[in-house]
Amino acid sequence: MSEPKTGPALRVRTVAEPPFSGEAVAELIRAVLDRGKAFRFRALGLSMSPFIKDGDVITVAPLGAAPPRTGEIATFVHSVSGKVRVHRIVGVERGRYLLKGDNALESDGEVPAEHILGRVIRVERGGRRVWTGQGLAGAAIARALRSGWLVRGLRRAARTFRREKKGT
Amino acid sequence: MEDLIKRDAAYGPSGDIVAREIEGEVVIVPLASGVGDMEGELYTLNETGRAIWRKLDGTKKVREIAAELSEEFEAPPEVLEADVAGLLAELLKRKMVAEKE
Repeated sequence: MSEPKTGPALRVRTVAEPPFSGEAVAELIRAVLDRGKAFRFRALGLSMSPFIKDGDVITVAPLGAAPPRTGEIATFVHSVSGKVRVHRIVGVERGRYLLKGDNALESDGEVPAEHILGRVIRVERGGRRVWTGQGLAGAAIARALRSGWLVRGLRRAARTFRREKKGT
Repeated sequence: MEDLIKRDAAYGPSGDIVAREIEGEVVIVPLASGVGDMEGELYTLNETGRAIWRKLDGTKKVREIAAELSEEFEAPPEVLEADVAGLLAELLKRKMVAEKE
């Protein structure tokens, strides 16, 4: 564990310390975004691979006046687990959002608008900005995710790659 | 820096932070750069720091806070006054608190 940078009463919280619960992280993100500021944090997991990988640094911005759109990547609170997730909006139905990880088999179900915290505006990997496939591309990816062929295709490609690698 | 803290002044959280008490910790997120950053820019306070922070409401003077803490912690007010001033100096240096009128 790294040494605290400041005196004993005030110190920097290191990443080696126990992480906060999903609810606590959501509260912090919401508090920052409510002030009109962006929030940066590190991605955990592979559900948004290849666009967002484990360890990437994500910047989330407040939604502002523009409601989230299909194809955008949003930070939201999962209705069941209460955890903060970063997944793509694949549709809007009856005022509720449908979200799904680009590399996830299951969708997140319907997410109420108030659970959407903000939109992902930047992803960095190794200090360099990476393309997240939003905008027009995002809408196309969202359609593919809803139909299910994108994940199936990515998994098939991964299996083929592994087989070929074993064969070499 | 500690000497710059006025004992007869009141200090409170600045507009450049978000502070939340979550899961037993006081967490301070600086916003001066325009971004709240969980990567190495999340601050927390120890037990004494938390007790001091809760009293930084922008109306109580440093001496008054030290006197209140002296009763709670059964410690000499002059010791606690130094603790309050020390923490305030750290917070002030990072623009996490401001002197209030």
